[in-house]
Amino acid sequence: MKRFFAIMIIIGALIGSAAVQADEWSDIKQTARGQTVYFNAWGGSDSINDYIRWSGNEVRKRYGVTVKHVKVTDIGDVVSRILAEKSAGRNSGGSVDLMWINGENFRAMKQNKLLFGPFTQKLPSYRFVDTVNKPTVLFDFTTPVEHMEAPWGMAQLVFMIDTARTTKHPTDMNDLLAFARKYPGRITYPAPPSFYGTTFVKQALLELAADRQALYRPVSQSDFDVVTAPLWKFLDALHPLMWRKGKNFTNGAPQMKQLLNDGEIFISLSFNPNDASHAIANGELPESVRTYVHRTGTIGNTHFVAIPFNSTGKEGAMVFANFLMSPEAQLKKAVPSTWGDPTVLAVDKLNAQDRAAFDKLPLGVATLSASELGRVITEPDASWVAALEKAWLNRYQR
Amino acid sequence: MRIRLTLPNRLSLFPIVTSTCFLSAILIGLFSTWTQAFGYMPSIGSNHFSLEPWTRLFTHPGFVNSLKATLVSGIGATLLSLSITFLLFAVSYQTRFWRILDQTLAPLLAIPHAAFAIGFMFLVSPSGWIMRLFSPGVTGFDIPPDWNITGDAWGISLMLVLVLKEVPFLVLMSLGGLGRLDVRGSLAVGRSLGYHRVLVWVKIILPQLYPRIRLSLFAILAYSLSVVDIAQIIGPTVPPTLAVQVFRWFNDPDLVSRLLGASGATLILLLVVIAIAILYLLELIVQCFLKRQVTSGNRHFCVLFPNLLSKLFIIAMVGISLTAITVLLIWSFTWRWRFPDLFPGSWSLRFWSKGLMQVQDPIWNTVKTGITASLLGVFLVIGCLENELRLKRAGIHTNTPTMLWLTYLPLLIPQIAFLFGVQVTLAAFRLDGHWPSLVWSHLLFVIPYVFLSLGPIYRSYDQRMTDVALTLCGSPWRVFYRIKLLILLKPILFAFAIGFSVSVAQYLPTLFMGAGRFDTITTEAVNLASGSDRRIVAVYALCQLLTPLLIFLSALLIPRFVFRNRREMQG
Repeated sequence: MKRFFAIMIIIGALIGSAAVQADEWSDIKQTARGQTVYFNAWGGSDSINDYIRWSGNEVRKRYGVTVKHVKVTDIGDVVSRILAEKSAGRNSGGSVDLMWINGENFRAMKQNKLLFGPFTQKLPSYRFVDTVNKPTVLFDFTTPVEHMEAPWGMAQLVFMIDTARTTKHPTDMNDLLAFARKYPGRITYPAPPSFYGTTFVKQALLELAADRQALYRPVSQSDFDVVTAPLWKFLDALHPLMWRKGKNFTNGAPQMKQLLNDGEIFISLSFNPNDASHAIANGELPESVRTYVHRTGTIGNTHFVAIPFNSTGKEGAMVFANFLMSPEAQLKKAVPSTWGDPTVLAVDKLNAQDRAAFDKLPLGVATLSASELGRVITEPDASWVAALEKAWLNRYQR
Repeated sequence: MRIRLTLPNRLSLFPIVTSTCFLSAILIGLFSTWTQAFGYMPSIGSNHFSLEPWTRLFTHPGFVNSLKATLVSGIGATLLSLSITFLLFAVSYQTRFWRILDQTLAPLLAIPHAAFAIGFMFLVSPSGWIMRLFSPGVTGFDIPPDWNITGDAWGISLMLVLVLKEVPFLVLMSLGGLGRLDVRGSLAVGRSLGYHRVLVWVKIILPQLYPRIRLSLFAILAYSLSVVDIAQIIGPTVPPTLAVQVFRWFNDPDLVSRLLGASGATLILLLVVIAIAILYLLELIVQCFLKRQVTSGNRHFCVLFPNLLSKLFIIAMVGISLTAITVLLIWSFTWRWRFPDLFPGSWSLRFWSKGLMQVQDPIWNTVKTGITASLLGVFLVIGCLENELRLKRAGIHTNTPTMLWLTYLPLLIPQIAFLFGVQVTLAAFRLDGHWPSLVWSHLLFVIPYVFLSLGPIYRSYDQRMTDVALTLCGSPWRVFYRIKLLILLKPILFAFAIGFSVSVAQYLPTLFMGAGRFDTITTEAVNLASGSDRRIVAVYALCQLLTPLLIFLSALLIPRFVFRNRREMQG
């Protein structure tokens, strides 16, 4: 009998909380109606801008929320604008309602208490998020997310090679060095602190380090010089063989894509496994480009949207964040010709119809299958980023 | 009965309003930046003054090389621009070649810096158009060679781009300055005394011209030492120039970097001040040296080499600029284009049809802001100039040089050294993100340029016209707008067009005062440039070019229409 009551209480509580949640959500939707959401997001990709425009139009039709895409070149300057607002005592009526963010920027915002939340647990779409197989939706570069940002898309470091130049791609970092010896001047990577460059350096370190586990502890707990020695030895050997003899670097993956098309380099990198297919469909890259990953797996992470503490339209921002996580929006985002950004959702949690739609997603001509993509390596402890960037600059920016 | 022969005294408000407009922003911005440079920023828990940001700045990896590239590109561009401008005037002024420059000056000025840099980059890079012209036929290259042409560590390529963009500006400013000099008379007298025309320029005209363009030159210096957008496109990368580095620090998610950015921004300001002082000193030295030369009576001069150089430069400048635009035009119609194809493998109208749909809002913002700011600017500047005239006629001494410096101040202080400070302050009063704040920030840079282009011509207006007209009708207002404004219509419209193109070009002010909420064609173009899809970037860059160009065109056509019945005013 006791057990029966206990079960009844739990069931009651569950129903109750669900009801409360539903109530809260309908309140949020109610308040959101008529709000304008200033969504601050990188505006450098035409396809992504198109997708954001489409999403904005949908939430205006469905929820009466107006979305304005504030296009930024670097989300870092939005962080500093919000800081400026905080320093000026502007605790409400802020200029940013929602921002595209992850990693270092998220950590800085969280540490400086610049974020609104926790809020993602209130969003109905959040229940579809794959928190089991995609641990990076819970730990953003090892920083606990704690519902302070809503997962938007998955990223994994992939390489793109122009098979018109050569068909045999490197299988790991040492092989890349051999490749550079064979084709001097034809590979490069973006200079840290561009996050593409930092990721490349982290990937190299993860592959070359004698003790990989050291990277998952705070950097202060390990002997930095010893752990990173193989990395510097590798880079010292690589740089003279690189594009512009390692004296000049690109500012990020988009610029490398352009160089790959120009034929200046043979290998480029991306965080979006569908990037190559998308770029081929878009005329940006030739048909001969193919994607590959290193044998031991590559770094993967998640990108999110977050609401600043002083946002004017928090409810509208939540409604939009919820829509961005919805199966419908996630599906459209994953189509290679739209954007090709992998979903954060667990497909098996979806209803049959959505699941079938996801299963039927066309695999782009240059996209790897899930098994080919291989193992995802999680990001090292966030403290390594600053330490690696500093050491890199000390060595190579002289 | 007493007839008032001047415009009312309310005119004295104009200089006050105009200078408050600047000074407030600059003082607030500088003060805020300087306190941060010395470590004071309570919002990030830094409550006491210290020298730490400075020691961190000087010990930052690559600081010395960063400084080197900044100085080479900034000071080199300034001195080269001046030398080339002088050379052009001395050798080619009013020759057949000059007409090429004359006719292309407006479009050259209208080319936005960032668009020009993108086009230039594609022209000269190892996979660029020039290389494609000769590949694989002449060079044998199937793949582009690994040559370090752009982004060199010394900032030479950056310097060249700056020179190509600054010379037209300096030529324009010199043309204004020459308006008040008797060039034809000097040349006639000099040549009758047996001096070659180039020598007359060097000995008589240029020494008089220099003081008139000195401030423009300093503005070029301040701009070149602190430019961000072009340096990001074509400058060195490890380390980048100081201004780019400072910009990154301001945008760094590690908020302590803002202090470093503030000290770097202050250092740039210091560099500008020191460089201006050195230029002043150089001027004195050259003056001493020239005095002896000018009166030496030496008439010997070999003209062949400079002549060639001048012609070569005019051709190169006009040629490179027009080719850079052509290349952008081709990219905007491209679908696929690989090395070494001279033309795209496949073409597409997609980016134009898409681009034109998307640019409507940004263009509307640009036009609205630009027209408001330039109208206000022209209004305030004419008010100031009229006030100057009133005081002069009343026999009151005016301190014109001081006023001039004040007007120039926003151009002499690098944007990066005070805009971030202004942003913090505006945000405190919740004034950022509003359209009037945006217009105000543009006005800050529009007014000086309007003043620069309108001032000399406005001052050289023949006051006797007004006097005669006054005896005929007696109403100062009517005389002012029926006679003076009409006679000066062309320069006023031209100044308006310049003000408009300055407003269009503003990137940092639009971003910061507008809190990123106002997309202009420039912010959109720079944003997309970070994504490096040349095709869509080209569409935006061309729209960015066309907008001011249309205004320049109307500045040329409106007088033709207004003066269609007045032959003497057509010229």
